[in-house]
Amino acid sequence: MIALHATSPLRRRARGFVLPLVLLGLWQFAAYRDAVHQYAFVPLEQVFSALLELARSGELVVDLGASLRRTTLGLATGAIAGIAVGALTALSRSAEKLVHPLFQALRHVPLLGLIPLISLWCGTGEFAKVFIVFLAAFYPMVTSSFDGLRRIDQRYFELAQSYELTRRGWLRDVLIPGALPDVFAGILQAVPFAWITATSSELLFNAGAGVGNLMQTAQAGARVDVLLVCVTGVTVLAVAMGMLCERVAQRLLLWRDHA
Amino acid sequence: MTRRVSWLLWWVSPALLFLLWWYASARHWFAPQLLVPPYKVYDTFRTLAAGGDLQDNLLITLRRLATGFAWGCLSGIVCGTLLAVNRTFSDYVRPLFDILRQVPTLTLIPILILLIGIDEPLKVVVVAKAVFFPVALATYGGVQGVPRDLIEMARHYGLGRAGLLRDVLLPSAIPSLLTGIRIAIARSWLALVAVELLSADSGIGEMMEMARQMLRIDIVMVDVIAIGLIGFTLDQSIALVQRRVLRWQTPNR
Repeated sequence: MIALHATSPLRRRARGFVLPLVLLGLWQFAAYRDAVHQYAFVPLEQVFSALLELARSGELVVDLGASLRRTTLGLATGAIAGIAVGALTALSRSAEKLVHPLFQALRHVPLLGLIPLISLWCGTGEFAKVFIVFLAAFYPMVTSSFDGLRRIDQRYFELAQSYELTRRGWLRDVLIPGALPDVFAGILQAVPFAWITATSSELLFNAGAGVGNLMQTAQAGARVDVLLVCVTGVTVLAVAMGMLCERVAQRLLLWRDHA
Repeated sequence: MTRRVSWLLWWVSPALLFLLWWYASARHWFAPQLLVPPYKVYDTFRTLAAGGDLQDNLLITLRRLATGFAWGCLSGIVCGTLLAVNRTFSDYVRPLFDILRQVPTLTLIPILILLIGIDEPLKVVVVAKAVFFPVALATYGGVQGVPRDLIEMARHYGLGRAGLLRDVLLPSAIPSLLTGIRIAIARSWLALVAVELLSADSGIGEMMEMARQMLRIDIVMVDVIAIGLIGFTLDQSIALVQRRVLRWQTPNR
């Protein structure tokens, strides 16, 4: 079993493809066995044609657009509010004591568990859906801004005081650069989470346009092919968003270190 | 003087919120069905607890959590260790692992419903999936992060493969594993509640969904509070274990 030569990198990468290909093969095999199996194991070409059908009918664009719109709105408002509250509680001890208990109390209720309550209070319209995404982005952003600001070394504070920095200088040279890495980590976490919360909450709200609603209808109609398209789409977008944020964060941090 | 005042500040916002709630419902700012008064929620809680509804459903949900958690945790530890220890296994499995890891558990629910139905297996599978990946990842990180010198030293003492695993690698991975378990519990609790909301037949999520359809906000509130409390307790229990382990580990590090 001990190789006399190291396995070449190419060979090692090729190994990674074995399992996925085998699984896909098994899937196709199960799909073609008989009609009963086709109910669950939809042949892959059918998944493809479902994708084309959705794209052509415009349904994919409408649903995707609606979900993305909600995610962006909820993210933007949630992130801004989160950073504001996080900064406030980090910089002021009394603010921290006022906000923290409630914050911690609500933190452990799974967001999706709040949906029945929210749908009863705010209905199932756009506001309720964006509100859930807002909450999904709000919580991680508060925690990361709070941590980011609290973690700034006290020595920088003393240094800034000895330089007698103005408010603006304080913000620009101490607070923002110091908190930035943690805030970015928070954003990195919040973005895919907001996207997933948006699509999952659509499953539960079950009204209006959105990827989640597409999935709900597909499930009702036993369209496994459409479901596979949706799952792949949601996953790919979640990964892409995460990677995009990471790139942007790296760029910005580079600028910070060089400025 | 200031110390006592500052301690009191912690209680201000919950107290304020409670007072606002009580005042708003007493003054009928909203319909009583919409904004249920605090005492009504408490009453409902007493009724539900007396009738056994709350406990029964909670027990069912917790049992699902336990089963799924056991499966997911065990297979996660095994997989994570293998990935860190065996390069061939890692070559074959890692890419698939990374792909499947990215698929959100909640998004999988409709497909799983069609593939395996809406009975118990669905819920256990969802919890197991939500638990498996964080635990496997954490175990992988923990085993991988063991300092080389420690391994060299153990080898030097003649420790075989099994001994190395049992006495060096796994114990060192415990802190990382505990963090992974904490994340896993939070995620699986979320996923379980969501599954029960969607495929209602029993459990606390189903109770909440039924109450929502009957517009019984008081029941929904009792359930939300129960869910939050349990999530909190589970999380804090792991945190307690973490602190204990840290105390045990610190002299060595």
